[in-house]
Amino acid sequence: MKSLLRLLPVFVLLSVAGCGRQSEGTGSTPGARSYTIAVIPKGTTHEFWKSIHAGAVKAERELNEKGVKTEIIWKGPLKEDDRDQQIQVVENFMSRRVSGIVLAPLDSQALVKPVENAIQAKVPVVIIDSDVKSDQYVSFVATDNYKGGRLAGERLGQLLAGKGNVILLRYAVGSASTEAREIGFLDALKSKYPEIKLISSDQRSGPTRETAYQASQNLLNRFGNEVDGIFCPCEPPTIAMTKALRDIGKAGGKVKMVGFDSGSQSVLDLKNGDVQGLVVQNPVLMGYLGVMTMVKHLQGEKVAKRIDTGVVLATPENMEQPEIKELLRPPIDKYLTE
Amino acid sequence: MSDPSRFNRRRVGRLLNAIGPVFGLALVIGLFSLSPAVRAHFFTGVNCKIILLQTVIVAIGALGMTMIIISGGIDLSVGSVVALTSVVGATSLVKGYAPVTAIALTIAVAGGIGLINGLIIAGFRMMPFIVTLGMMGVARGTAKWLADNQTVNAPKSCVNNLMDMLDPLHFFPLPLGIWITMALAVVMAVVMQRTIFGRYIFAIGSNEATARLCGIRVGPMKVAIYALAGLLFGLAGLMQMSRLTQGDPTVAIGLELDIIAAVVIGGASLNGGTGSISGSIIGALIMAVLRSGSSQMNWPNFVQEIIIGIVIILAVGLDKFRQRKAAF
Repeated sequence: MKSLLRLLPVFVLLSVAGCGRQSEGTGSTPGARSYTIAVIPKGTTHEFWKSIHAGAVKAERELNEKGVKTEIIWKGPLKEDDRDQQIQVVENFMSRRVSGIVLAPLDSQALVKPVENAIQAKVPVVIIDSDVKSDQYVSFVATDNYKGGRLAGERLGQLLAGKGNVILLRYAVGSASTEAREIGFLDALKSKYPEIKLISSDQRSGPTRETAYQASQNLLNRFGNEVDGIFCPCEPPTIAMTKALRDIGKAGGKVKMVGFDSGSQSVLDLKNGDVQGLVVQNPVLMGYLGVMTMVKHLQGEKVAKRIDTGVVLATPENMEQPEIKELLRPPIDKYLTE
Repeated sequence: MSDPSRFNRRRVGRLLNAIGPVFGLALVIGLFSLSPAVRAHFFTGVNCKIILLQTVIVAIGALGMTMIIISGGIDLSVGSVVALTSVVGATSLVKGYAPVTAIALTIAVAGGIGLINGLIIAGFRMMPFIVTLGMMGVARGTAKWLADNQTVNAPKSCVNNLMDMLDPLHFFPLPLGIWITMALAVVMAVVMQRTIFGRYIFAIGSNEATARLCGIRVGPMKVAIYALAGLLFGLAGLMQMSRLTQGDPTVAIGLELDIIAAVVIGGASLNGGTGSISGSIIGALIMAVLRSGSSQMNWPNFVQEIIIGIVIILAVGLDKFRQRKAAF
């Protein structure tokens, strides 16, 4: 039994540690109004999440200037895109008793329990970017993806003057945000440009640039001579399809290309005229409003259950306008210098 | 000449061996109690519960891995097997099987994979490293195939309650998963220390040739070891599914390395022959405490990764030092 005896001190240690301090629960809000807010993205390395971080820091600075003491804790899952790790991060902040959690859930189902546990433990949660199958959160601050899809559809219809053959390269099964964009795109074409013919809408790009590139090449192999316009609902297929179009010499406007999101390669393609339209979200605003909404809620104000952070269509013509330029190249460095 | 002093030295060595991992755990807990801001929240019942909950999957995996590593083997396929079994469990629930059937099926699939690993390793005298490296790919691929490259959302059932926190404000009630892990740890410790099967495992790991000459049927033993460990990995997969409430073919990438690290921190040698269940469980706890603590200290992820890496090297270094002392 030596080995069991060895375990004993651990349990004693843990259980002794477990007693006692429970009553100090709400330590992070001592007297005056000061808030600690955990912001949890899906990952930390992509540009999109850095923009969200920048927005959160912007909110933190403004709040502190206004005299509302706020501290942002930025913490992604240890392994990029790992659901279990994100659950752990949520749990750890729940037991640390932060004032509130701003979360971009990696999965609409897997994160339901942790979110509801946190809320039950009186740590309010604001959801950003992607939805979660629960209605207990404070607010859902995100892009209206359906509207983004419609914008893309209208732009492509306009570019083709209402007729021609169009391809929709879908993203992946089960991704709620891109599916909403695809539906929005198809709805816009159907209602405003009924003469446009959809020659392919059942292919999927898969999650990476590499899988998207293969899918694009296969599609162009088959439809390269008939296609007039293409829509891709997010960054990897947009970049990959543009590359595939360049390979067969159909880029530069011979085939009209409309994409989604402002990856630096897509912005370059837009500038060079290989992409004719890019629907861009506003991640900086999403991070900013996520934190602001949480603080408002903590101060007892009523907040809307759904907050739209807006989508904008960037074109080669308007991309130099300051407000569009800011969306295409978010001012990350201004906020994330330290 | 000095029999008593040699005896004493050996006892000191053994004592060091025993308290080493516990000391390590106390050290990391102490580290996080240095910061008053974190201390207030770190030593709460809820936080202990969360840390235990976050240890369950690695701990159950470590129970099986300890057995394999003591026998002188290794299993790199654990992460993939956990992913595959989480998909199997979720899929069978979706197809309308009763929870009991789904649980049995999930664990049986992992046991089957362990059996195949063991048969190949023992039958063809192949390196466990290579065989299980191959199985890592096979199981991961099968998981993606079975799940059609996406997550499988399991309908609500009692399986989801295994890893449910139940009450996020108090230490008790503890989730069933934690009780199961503790019970299994006790059972496995007894098996390793007090049964012939367990002692044979140590014998094989210490010196396979000698064990064979002593009449131990090494081949069948190895098959049994990998199959039994497989069953435990299946249970870990079930816990993973319960935690995510879905089967996810991309989950637990690199989990095997966490598990191996826990076992090694707990005092096992990759050369086989040494190691203990209690040490491995403490190793798993050390890693969970480190993770939770660094989250709460607001350290960036890279600091956390570096620290866990250093802890692994330190633990193994300490082990060498202890062994050298014991050898005098």
